Amino acid sequence: MRRPSPSAVRWMLLAALLLLWELMPQTKIVPELFLPSLSKTLTVLWKDRVEYAENLLVTLYEVGVAMLIACGAGILVGALVGGISVLRNLMLPVFSSLYAVPIVILYPIFTAWFGIGSESKIAFAGIYGFFPVMLSTAAGIRTIDPQYMLAARSMGATLPQQIVRVIIPASIPTVLSGLRLGGALTIIGVVVSEMLTASAGIGYLVTRYRTILDSPHVFAAILMILLLSILFDLLARAVERRTLVWQTAGRRVPSAGAATSTTRMPAPAPV
Amino acid sequence: MTAIEVDRLSHIYAGAEGGVPALEDISMTVEAGKFVVIVGPSGCGKTSLLMMLAGLRHQSTGTILCDGRPITDPDPSRVGVVFQEASLFPWLTALDNTEFPLALRGTPRDERRRRAEDMLNLVGLQGFGARFPHELSGGMKQRVSIARGLVQDPPVLLMDEPFAALDEQTRMTMGHELLRIWSKTRKTVVFITHSLTEAVYLADEVLVMSARPGRIVDRIAIDLPRPRTYEMMATDTFGKLRERIWQQIRKPEGTLS
Repeated sequence: MRRPSPSAVRWMLLAALLLLWELMPQTKIVPELFLPSLSKTLTVLWKDRVEYAENLLVTLYEVGVAMLIACGAGILVGALVGGISVLRNLMLPVFSSLYAVPIVILYPIFTAWFGIGSESKIAFAGIYGFFPVMLSTAAGIRTIDPQYMLAARSMGATLPQQIVRVIIPASIPTVLSGLRLGGALTIIGVVVSEMLTASAGIGYLVTRYRTILDSPHVFAAILMILLLSILFDLLARAVERRTLVWQTAGRRVPSAGAATSTTRMPAPAPV
Repeated sequence: MTAIEVDRLSHIYAGAEGGVPALEDISMTVEAGKFVVIVGPSGCGKTSLLMMLAGLRHQSTGTILCDGRPITDPDPSRVGVVFQEASLFPWLTALDNTEFPLALRGTPRDERRRRAEDMLNLVGLQGFGARFPHELSGGMKQRVSIARGLVQDPPVLLMDEPFAALDEQTRMTMGHELLRIWSKTRKTVVFITHSLTEAVYLADEVLVMSARPGRIVDRIAIDLPRPRTYEMMATDTFGKLRERIWQQIRKPEGTLS
């Protein structure tokens, strides 16, 4: 018997999960209050689509701004801390320890400072996503093979040339994985803070409908957050794949189907 | 004509109690177009010496002249360097890697393309320009490194154990290839190696260095005819030359004058 490919298995698992979601409440194995069926959740989502769309826009706006702050500041500070040894010795231990602190304890303070509108969510999620971006940028720069720098210098590269042509491309893989993690944390940060204190956003919907025990509406909101996170991850992976072509070009993917596994041909004649 | 002139070069690494002497009173002259190999025990400072010849590290005292002018900083128009493995940039194709020194100097795109392709052809890699380093074998990567070292057409090529990471068969082939490339370009080559066979096979002259602090303890002219062939390795002359180098290297510290 042929073994099914991993991706086929993944899709089957997903289908099975959705089927269970539909059947368990239908057959009364699980009470509707704990788990409303998939069809009921989708129905509710469709019926109140305007409300969900409005709140989704608020969440998206907060996530977008927070990601800009997390990524921008994270890359900037990470590059400085990773590239300048004085700063590194001074700051890196501090930042590494701060990373372990549950920053969510700061959120009540942020609501006091910035109010319960979008600003406090953006501030909190921005800081939450900042750390992985900053730490991985610093690590990416610090772990560049010194041989690359030596080779570049031997070819007469000036400092700006070393930065643009060696340090940046060499640290991109680590920075990108940091951005992926930081982006995901930003989404978490926004949703969590919306659930705590807010007047709008998908997280706010979860809390509001939970307090009135309206499970289908809660699950509809959860579903949207789930889709948002998955979409972000797919997007981040696609960017990674395109940017890091040099890591994978010509490398055969063992799990890929027959159609894609042997298409790599000998390099074409240089043009 | 003299290509490289090293005059009473010494180097002391900063450290406790006045530092560690690494290189001591090195003087050497390399005639243009010659192939000089430096051998010596591990840690004798031969790589440090090469880094100084490349302008990548500064000696404590003494001078290095290349083409009659001192070397203080890297100058790719006078000196090309080929390192041990892993110095190709993995995010650039073989062609882009070869072009890199020209791109740094702002050479127009068409010209650097053409020169890089010429170099890849010279090292036997025609048709491989679009490959990334991880798609190349160890020997091919070092061919790209050599092409990159030669692309600016510097009169001097420095090579720091370029074939050390290769398996023995590839290593022999690469040595032979290097001699072919050298005979076409007539560069002055300073080549560092651990392998005595490689040293005798490649060199016009072998400089033997002592253990730390590194000094030049012997200069051996290799007067085997060129082009060199693999068969020469089995001859008496080859064996004797190899033996003489080995005697110098294994000499314990104390018995050196």
